[in-house]
Amino acid sequence: MKKVIALALALVMVLAFAACSKAPANDKKTFTMGIDAEYPPFSYMGDDGEYTGFDVEICKACCDLLGWNFEIFGVNWDEKLVQLDANECDCVWSGMTILDSMKEAGYVISDPYFKNDQVILVKADSDIKGSADLKGMVVAVQLGTSGETLLNEELTDLTASFKELVTCDSFLKCFAELEGGSVDAVVVDKPVAVARANENKDLVVLDEILGTEEYGIAFRSGDEQMCKDIQGAINTLVENGTYAKIAEKYPDIDAANLVFLNK
Amino acid sequence: MDLMTMVLKMSEGLGKTCAIFFLTLLFSLPLGMIVALLRRSKNKIVSNVTRFFISVLRGTPLMLQLIAVTYGPYYLFGLTVSRNKLIPVVIAFAINYAAYFAEIYRSGIDSMPVGQYEAAEVLGYSKVQTFMKIILPQVIRRILPSMTNEIVTLVKDTSMAFTVSYQEMFTIGKQIANSQTSFMPFIVAGVFYYVFNAIVGFAMGKVEDKMNYYEM
Repeated sequence: MKKVIALALALVMVLAFAACSKAPANDKKTFTMGIDAEYPPFSYMGDDGEYTGFDVEICKACCDLLGWNFEIFGVNWDEKLVQLDANECDCVWSGMTILDSMKEAGYVISDPYFKNDQVILVKADSDIKGSADLKGMVVAVQLGTSGETLLNEELTDLTASFKELVTCDSFLKCFAELEGGSVDAVVVDKPVAVARANENKDLVVLDEILGTEEYGIAFRSGDEQMCKDIQGAINTLVENGTYAKIAEKYPDIDAANLVFLNK
Repeated sequence: MDLMTMVLKMSEGLGKTCAIFFLTLLFSLPLGMIVALLRRSKNKIVSNVTRFFISVLRGTPLMLQLIAVTYGPYYLFGLTVSRNKLIPVVIAFAINYAAYFAEIYRSGIDSMPVGQYEAAEVLGYSKVQTFMKIILPQVIRRILPSMTNEIVTLVKDTSMAFTVSYQEMFTIGKQIANSQTSFMPFIVAGVFYYVFNAIVGFAMGKVEDKMNYYEM
């Protein structure tokens, strides 16, 4: 019995040490990027198990340019601003929609870099051809996304015409509901919808655009300089063509919606 | 992403899941005993304060307690949030589970017949001796099945650490699932949890056998 306990305690200690994070190797400035690791193609876990995505690659390139150490912190999207406040990351940069309430709360917000359209994803054999056909239908949307805000706060008349609005806690669950036939349509960001429709030929993205928001990067209040540094680095990347090169790697992101490439 | 990479990536998280599990048990088992004894205190103030403590911890979601322990100190006192998330996570889990364990301990202690205390007193045992040598071994034997229940639940509750961005196994599984639009990580997670709990169940069964010294 004592041996078992000793073994268990030894295991606990090993695990406790293993779980401790390592300190950075040098004293360069470390920039911690806060991402939602469940948001392809902007930020997600790649095939090799490393975090990647359009936002992640741009941020990495910015840090290389500025000579900063680059680190990633996976935020819990519902609490992203709490985690930013608490210094767990230096920015939230992950396909984040700029809200007026963020500016009012004092966060420093970068220039918008992406125009995001909200679209409707349906089954290819569905009779739904536009938002008018959603009357009496069951519609799914991800909790805490701009799609949800749009339906619940702006397009309230449209939402009222639904039979039911289902909120899921991830895109994957919304899609599973749609493919499984328990909902008739999903309201979602265009790049995500396009990526899904490319993978599953039974789904189509409707042309109608329900609403448009802009993506930006959020910094803590008082970090204006950091925001300027990053903004400057992005401008350099746009000028030397790196930005466009990275964008090409993500065909699901419509280049026409990337603000910096269309100035 | 092939299955191997997926399993490897999630195994990394499994180490963190194990860390929460073992550290929570390490702290909450003794803490629960202290709470149980305070709860049984003859001093009305002490027992009522403990009763209130238990009711708050059992009456609010663990998810809320995790957020409160992790971000509460920052918002109330401006303290920095620990970079090593294991610390707040284990504190929240240990306090929460201590409250549950305390009630299990109490049920065990209260189930002991008064006659045993009286017999021990006649035999000249001190109060501490009576508790440690006579009562506690029997209590442990009686409460083992309910403890196994609670410990199995703890294995599954570790997934709640995602609330404060602690990258344990299920958090990584969800990230892979949404990045690769695949349900496979959930199946892998299910297998991981099941095997983990099968081991816990087996170990607790062994302990129960060991404690069955009255039966032939």
